[in-house]
Amino acid sequence: MASNSSASDSPDRIKTLRAKIASELPNVDFVLGYGRGFDPLHATPVTVRTEKDLDRLIFDPTCVQNLATSLYGLRGKRLGVVVKGCDSRSIVQLLQERLWERENLVVFGLPCEGVIDLAKLRVTMDIASVKAVRFEGSVRDGKVVLTLPEGERELPSAGLLADKCLRCQHPNPLVSDHLIGPEIEPQGAQDTYADLAALEKLSTQERFDFWKRQMGRCIRCYACRNACPLCVCKHVCLADSREPHWLSAEATLQEKWLFQVMHALHLAGRCTECGECQRSCPMGIPILLLKRMMNRELKELFNYQAGVSLEAVPPLHTFLMEEDRIKDRGLLW
Amino acid sequence: MNANNPYIPELATIIETFDETPDVKTFRVVLQDPAKMAAFRFEPGQVAQLSVFGTGESTFVICSPPTRMEYLQFSVMRVGELTHRLHTLKQGDPIGLRAPLGNHFPHQDMRGRDIVFIGGGLGMAPLRTLLLFMLDNRADYGNITLIYGGRTPEHLCFKDELKEWAARGDMRVELTVDTPGEGWQGRTGVVPAVLTDLAVRPENAVAVTCGPPIMIRFTLEALGKLGFKDEQIVTTLERRMKCGVGLCGRCNIGEKFVCVDGPVFTQAQLKGLPQEF
Amino acid sequence: MVDRFLKDSDLAAVTAAWARDFRVLAPVREGAAIVYRLFSEDMHPFLLRPPTSSAKEAILPQTENLFTYKYRKDQDDLTRTEVFLAEALPPEPTLILGPRPCDARGRHLLDRVFLERGVIDPQYKAHRAATLFVTVACTSMQNTCFCHWTGGAMDDESGSDVLLHPVTIGGVGGFVAHAVTPAGEELLATLPEATAPMLEKLAERRAATPEPEPAPDLSDIAGSFLAMFDNLDFWTDQSARCLSCGVCTYLCPTCSCFNITDENYGMSGRRLRTWDTCMSALYTLEGSGHNPRFSRAHRLRNRVGHKFSYHPREFPEAATAPSGLEFSCTGCGRCIKSCPVAVDIRQIVLDVLAAAAEKAPDKVGGTK
Repeated sequence: MASNSSASDSPDRIKTLRAKIASELPNVDFVLGYGRGFDPLHATPVTVRTEKDLDRLIFDPTCVQNLATSLYGLRGKRLGVVVKGCDSRSIVQLLQERLWERENLVVFGLPCEGVIDLAKLRVTMDIASVKAVRFEGSVRDGKVVLTLPEGERELPSAGLLADKCLRCQHPNPLVSDHLIGPEIEPQGAQDTYADLAALEKLSTQERFDFWKRQMGRCIRCYACRNACPLCVCKHVCLADSREPHWLSAEATLQEKWLFQVMHALHLAGRCTECGECQRSCPMGIPILLLKRMMNRELKELFNYQAGVSLEAVPPLHTFLMEEDRIKDRGLLW
Repeated sequence: MNANNPYIPELATIIETFDETPDVKTFRVVLQDPAKMAAFRFEPGQVAQLSVFGTGESTFVICSPPTRMEYLQFSVMRVGELTHRLHTLKQGDPIGLRAPLGNHFPHQDMRGRDIVFIGGGLGMAPLRTLLLFMLDNRADYGNITLIYGGRTPEHLCFKDELKEWAARGDMRVELTVDTPGEGWQGRTGVVPAVLTDLAVRPENAVAVTCGPPIMIRFTLEALGKLGFKDEQIVTTLERRMKCGVGLCGRCNIGEKFVCVDGPVFTQAQLKGLPQEF
Repeated sequence: MVDRFLKDSDLAAVTAAWARDFRVLAPVREGAAIVYRLFSEDMHPFLLRPPTSSAKEAILPQTENLFTYKYRKDQDDLTRTEVFLAEALPPEPTLILGPRPCDARGRHLLDRVFLERGVIDPQYKAHRAATLFVTVACTSMQNTCFCHWTGGAMDDESGSDVLLHPVTIGGVGGFVAHAVTPAGEELLATLPEATAPMLEKLAERRAATPEPEPAPDLSDIAGSFLAMFDNLDFWTDQSARCLSCGVCTYLCPTCSCFNITDENYGMSGRRLRTWDTCMSALYTLEGSGHNPRFSRAHRLRNRVGHKFSYHPREFPEAATAPSGLEFSCTGCGRCIKSCPVAVDIRQIVLDVLAAAAEKAPDKVGGTK
């Protein structure tokens, strides 16, 4: 099997991670971490139960998954989980909403320079032919060296970083029991919501056509829902409910779209933009746009960002008689 | 069954409904086409998919015996979407029926043997079919014992018939409830305990059991202790089903499909399957 | 049957000609996905990579009508209703362009369920009879491909009506089009014959294509799976990452499970058949609340078991794979490639074999 190496996959850091996990194994049922997937570009979540599983642990820019997603389904256990900065925001949110108990969780935090978005790579090549990957230099402005059947190919890593990494303000985990440093200065650009602005420039009809085309590909596999760390209704989801009968079983455009709109609304003020919904979509539908749209509203209205403070209360979980940024038109009731 | 398309139900009409318990209602239905009704054949233990068009379909055992073909009877507990809708239907309402589906109780192999029926709650429904079938062919069978339990006396199904059966003199009826009410004359306690208490003899006997999973578990244990072999224990399984003809996939236990290979299995057969119940 | 030549530059026009007689589903690139869309004249089919979804939607649509119903109130007694049923319309003649040999082989496995298991599914049968597969042979195997584990190959013809072999000659790209069935031959009737140099070139390319790594010996898998069935720790570890979504089952060319539900519109409505997924907890949830497969471990176990143990045990005569078993899997690798958490069914199968061998070294082994 091909090997990966990079700055963030430094032998020291992995050694420390393994040691810290080993020290906690007696206290937990198991630890969720990253292992190598079926090829050098894919990581896969692994469960570490015993010391012999420790060798499987890796950490590098292919470790894209948000392992906090698995937590809710494993309630009742005492678990360890490996998180990046962005993933830790999901943990914060889960704790804040009391969807998990802090004392049953051991968090191994890894400051992260960024992960790669395979969708960006897939546009330029058949990624299934990649035999090995090397990350040279820093993750943000180094290069990715891919071994292909025809030889090596170098790509600037910046062009492959996930969008969320380009605007990342929290590379260091916001909650952790074991911080496996060193900590990193935030390097992400200010989020200007340029992606939303581009969409909003379109006319209503054009935007409608855009979404029609995108949602037309949806196969209703609900990977988006199941990959969401905060989408906790799971099997009592409105998408599956027969009473009330919100969605028809027909795979029509309006059913698919209605679900995405409801998903976005349910996540307003809770979504940390980990991007797992969009990354998990086998059809490459840009559904994170809808959640970002909601988050931008939340930011404007309540100056709120989800998953950054354990003490905060999500704005839609509470109310103020008078909101600073919502004009109530002076009416009394 | 529709010979050309297994998904298309026959149209049927409800001719009578009545309450069995606070949440179980009995429906008597006939096929709308009298010729089809006259030609309808099934075996005890076979099931039907009942349709309320607009809501869907669910699986129910035909709980009247093939020896009494004036109507087909179904007893339905109100638990989900379809059963809630069914409970609102009344005499004269149309429904859909796909039947008969699945296998049946091996009643041919039970001839000449003692039969012990062990039922809990609505698990009595499939037992009723076989029991009535046997009572209608009484000479073909040995001693017949029924042990039937419910949460309370009110939760026992087929109350009038239970009295009739107890009064027949050619079978034994033992009723038990978890919580007795005023005037309850039967036993108190769980079904497996009654079984042990009666020390039912396994020689030349067959036990036929149906009820909630927890009752089945302890009943199997009790039968084992009494000396019943796995081949002597017959049960009928509940599984979520959709197509009823072995295609939609969900009711599989290993490579067997409960809707086609079941719902009736001997304990010996079940032990040969992956343990996923 | 004579082999013919289909030039890349003629592909759209030829497809358009087919579209006069058929509902044509053709793959197009949309972002990172390659999806089948109903062909229109402004489309250029993309045949260079395997489509993201399998071709099963052509013969087993994600949603289809089983029948429609209509209630009518009795005008003399409004408390009385009558109901009328109408069968679904027969399917249109369909041609699907761009499946791979693994997709085409999937047809046989769907046949096992819908035509051979017991009851014949009339709608599937009609779709099956009305649908032609114009398949594209593979020129290389992706790192998720394992068709040879299941008895398939990059240029396997079974299940196809036409097999298109990519070939480039004299700078002109195209396909040597090989008719597999008479219906396929009819489709190709107007194309020029492939020339001898083309066929030579194709033969050269095929000869030069590297053989995949030998398939592991899976002859014990059906039994090994059953031996590991009760080891829930094993399945919990295998499934801890699984999201319980439907990517694997919905993209699979052989997964055939479906749901039946009613959609009501006032006094009328439809009974639908819809793809369902055994990865969903609702799939087996009973009215009582009891669920025989309540955890992800149970559900992933069922999926692996169905493909590699239950199916070969149900159809023991149907051996097609090198291991002497037929699996309900054609090795297309879509469940691996598109899994958000990179669950690899190949690895699970190998882990089952290894764990079962460890459990009972005398009884089961990884090798014959």
